[in-house]
Amino acid sequence: MPVVDVNPDELRDLTGHDEKGDDELIDDLFALGLEFEGRTDEGDLQLEFAPDRLDRLSVEGVARSLRYQYGDDRGVYVPNTNDADWTIEVEESVPDERPYVTGAVIRDVDLDDEALDSLIQLQEKLHATMGRKRAKGAIGIHDLTMLKGEAVTEEGSELGKSITYRGIEPDGDRFVPLDSDAEMTPEDVLRSHPTGETYADLVEAYDRYPAIYDDIGLFSFPPVINGRRTEVSTDSRDLFVELTGTDQWTIDHMCNIICYALDARGAKVEEVVVNYADRTLVRPDFEVREKTVTHERIESMLGIDLSAERVIDLLERSGLDAETEEVGDGVSESDDSEARQTSSDGELAYEVAVPPYRVDVLHPLDIVDDVGRAYGFNELEPRYPDVGTVGGRHARSELEDAAREVLVGLGFEDLLNFHMINEAENFDRMGLSRPSEDGEEDADDVLGADEPATILEPYSEDYTMLRTWALPSLMMVLENNTHRAYPQDLAEIGFAARVDESENTGLAEHRTVAGVLARHDASYEDAKARLQAIARNFDVDLETPATDHPTFIDGRAAEVVMDGESAGVIGEIHPEVLVEHDLELPVAGFEFRLDALE
Amino acid sequence: MKLPESQAAVLQTASANEAQTFEQLADETGQKPETISGAAFELEDEGLVEVSESTEESVALTEEGREYVEDGLPEVRLYEAAMDAGADEDPAQMGRIIGQSGLEGPQVDIALSNYARKGYGTIESGEITADPDADPESDAEAQALAALAAGESVEDGGVVEQLESRGLVTVSESTVRSVTLTDDAVDVLMMEGVETAETVGQLTPEMLTSGEWRDVEFAEYNVEADAERLDGGKTHILRQTANRVKDTLVGMGFEEMEGPHADADFWINDALFMPQDHPARTHWDRFALSNPTEIRDLPEDLVERVEDAHHNGVGEDGEGYHSPWSEDFARAIALRGHTTSLSMRYLSGHEIGDLEPPQRFFSVEKVYRNDTLDPTHLLEFFQIEGWVMAEDLSVRDLMGTFEEFYEQFGITDLQYKPHYNPYTEPSFELFGEHPTTGELVEVGNSGMFREEVLQPLGVDCDVMAWGLSLERLLMLMYGFEDIRDIHGTLCDLELLRETEVLH
Repeated sequence: MPVVDVNPDELRDLTGHDEKGDDELIDDLFALGLEFEGRTDEGDLQLEFAPDRLDRLSVEGVARSLRYQYGDDRGVYVPNTNDADWTIEVEESVPDERPYVTGAVIRDVDLDDEALDSLIQLQEKLHATMGRKRAKGAIGIHDLTMLKGEAVTEEGSELGKSITYRGIEPDGDRFVPLDSDAEMTPEDVLRSHPTGETYADLVEAYDRYPAIYDDIGLFSFPPVINGRRTEVSTDSRDLFVELTGTDQWTIDHMCNIICYALDARGAKVEEVVVNYADRTLVRPDFEVREKTVTHERIESMLGIDLSAERVIDLLERSGLDAETEEVGDGVSESDDSEARQTSSDGELAYEVAVPPYRVDVLHPLDIVDDVGRAYGFNELEPRYPDVGTVGGRHARSELEDAAREVLVGLGFEDLLNFHMINEAENFDRMGLSRPSEDGEEDADDVLGADEPATILEPYSEDYTMLRTWALPSLMMVLENNTHRAYPQDLAEIGFAARVDESENTGLAEHRTVAGVLARHDASYEDAKARLQAIARNFDVDLETPATDHPTFIDGRAAEVVMDGESAGVIGEIHPEVLVEHDLELPVAGFEFRLDALE
Repeated sequence: MKLPESQAAVLQTASANEAQTFEQLADETGQKPETISGAAFELEDEGLVEVSESTEESVALTEEGREYVEDGLPEVRLYEAAMDAGADEDPAQMGRIIGQSGLEGPQVDIALSNYARKGYGTIESGEITADPDADPESDAEAQALAALAAGESVEDGGVVEQLESRGLVTVSESTVRSVTLTDDAVDVLMMEGVETAETVGQLTPEMLTSGEWRDVEFAEYNVEADAERLDGGKTHILRQTANRVKDTLVGMGFEEMEGPHADADFWINDALFMPQDHPARTHWDRFALSNPTEIRDLPEDLVERVEDAHHNGVGEDGEGYHSPWSEDFARAIALRGHTTSLSMRYLSGHEIGDLEPPQRFFSVEKVYRNDTLDPTHLLEFFQIEGWVMAEDLSVRDLMGTFEEFYEQFGITDLQYKPHYNPYTEPSFELFGEHPTTGELVEVGNSGMFREEVLQPLGVDCDVMAWGLSLERLLMLMYGFEDIRDIHGTLCDLELLRETEVLH
């Protein structure tokens, strides 16, 4: 979950609540869903929250939410914007993989160190979340005074200035990137600039690299790095914000969140024209969306009765605007919302306006959630649902428990091991040869020697596949516990799986019953006695015809046949397997399918 | 009077006039000393003997002491070497004398420090003299050592103390107990005599059938002694905890779900309205399989509806995600990251047929997360998953259900932190008071399934759901610090065997 660092003094400043102590702020923030995780070295509050309200990724957005919560602000706020002076021209050459661009001009910013840090944090946090690590959307912020726009003229008169988004050859031009003194091509940046190396995988497969030009030349290489020429500092007064990405909606909304944050610091937002070959957009897009939510849905979801006034109050305190309306066949009555609420024909509903920084609102239910948050979910009285149902266990888990009870009664320590394992443990160290993936029958046709489900590019070499049987896990437990008292009689009823193309998922999953007896005089007979007891308890006919299995001593291994079906194997573990597991005493064991006891 | 054999032996052997130690009695009767001591105390309780105690000092040679008995004390050996070298007349070079004496290592220092003390001569500026009048034959310490080695006692306390300080002997005190007959015992012996009652070690089937048990005395056991260790079997504590959870939920009317561990991403994520570019769906957070790679069949109409919800949302005012969606990704097989995949299968009607409200379902089963293995995180762990399907559920119903459930595990005073999940709205993180420490700890994640989840599944009533890690509940209940000791092949058998049974 995202963590945002917030300077408590700035938060007090921006909310206008100098009287609030840090502890009080922390409590208020928890109620908003921002959890205090600790402090940074500089004393900033580290706040963790779920990644829905991405407008809270900076102190400005957190302050805005608090002001609504305190009732200092109400309703939807949309910043005024100045008309566009700048245009972003989009050339046909832009990379197909990253065709979208948006932007805004910000005038009269007053950036002290704190404000600049906050802006950079917001940019980075937006990259990490909505921007999907810059893959989906990347933000470049530039000092506008360092840009020289190309004149946009129409019929001889100059209308404004423009920059151009285009695609260029990897070595098609040179610029000085941030944190560097040398002129580099985009290709050089990916190869030898630290930031370039980090983000190289985003663009290196492109035929043409994204590039943004002004009249002087290349100044931004999105989504990788800006040029040094337009670097923003505390002296910057006017900013050019550009975003590129794989989705117009996403970058437009990232842009909105940036604009709202800078507006909260008193800056002025100025529109930018985005000129695609086939369409022209004016950005930022501060369009207020509308959603209709019924009064009934709010009441039924929260489980309480509310007046229409209260609902509207709560919506406004969430930074939304609402008007009542009737939906359905109801006869329109007076404007008095109380009267509407009691109207029997029409259903009371609210037309709710949602501001353009709210990227989380997809459905009217999200507005019901806002009402609940504003009301305070912890204020609701819990009640046990008045719904009657009959509980019960799944037949498989009941069988598993019954078998486990018998094993424990026979003196086995019940174990619980990982379902993931690696090939060495599952096959090699048990004396089995690894089955090949091409399905050829060159592997041993014995329990355990099945084609396993394998994990794609595993993190850990210890966990690369799903186990095909459980005895290897028990042998590992014996190996790790040679310092513990003997006898060690261990059993596990657990999951195992093997590739089976006839299954829908391509995998046959089953529960398996495995037991080992590790003691100085462990013998086949000891294991067989217990297996017989299990079979007897489940009224299963047990036969144990001799078999060969590489894990067991020749002549002391048998197939477990239950009610005429082959179900597993039993025997004395081969000394080679024992020595491999650093065991200095004999082990007898068995394993069979749980469903053989059904 | 009939007495057990050992007691009878003591009575018959002991005397009324002269105290006899337990050891002496053991020698004379041929019984073990511990048997005699048991018998003597029994007889004392009967008033037939008096047991008196005295403290006895015993002196034993140390290894060094025994060595000197053989080789002579180092200072004596030094004196003898000095005499041989004529040091009684002219001082001799010390190095030479030591060489001739055959003394080595720490013995040299021992010899030098005792030489002058005992008046064997002087040691000055590297030269040594010997007093011709000294008599090593009558060295008191040597004599005492020899006497102790011969098993005799040494009366001179000063010498023993000196030997002890030189580390040549150890002095220990022991309590010696002695028995004298009482007048009552003399009377018994004179008047009625003592007979031995037969004692037996083991009650046998033959004794029971023959009735012989009536005439025998059972040998007494030391009933306080520890018996041999026995480790019976025990259900794994995580299973025990799982079963408590299952019992609780079944009692609350929930029915258990079951389904595949490796499943299509469609069931694990897409049906849950998780956008395909959600960070949790990247390679590094999930266990995608390289074999098998793809599910064979998905319900086509459902796939279409889910894809449409992702693109366009549901309902008149609904919006979708601005994220790519491909059926190939939906078909890819991975180990489930949550058991909510089972909830989707059940709610869709494809698992056990269409469900009519009301319904309650649960599972306590394994899920897989590509995380770093550490004391509180496992790559595979148990998730408790539960949901309730009914008309007109409210968040109050959800809260009431949780209060009921968590109270069974001692977790009370639940708090609800508004939260965000792509598949529920409203959503809450649940916090509760730790049963022992009292601090506020996260105990689960919950919410009402979104319309974008339910509508494609064909569910037109409300469904509330929650999830919680079973291991977390276990650690809260038992106070374990490292989950790896419990779950997995690195488990510690001793810990599993010794863990207190909670009930």
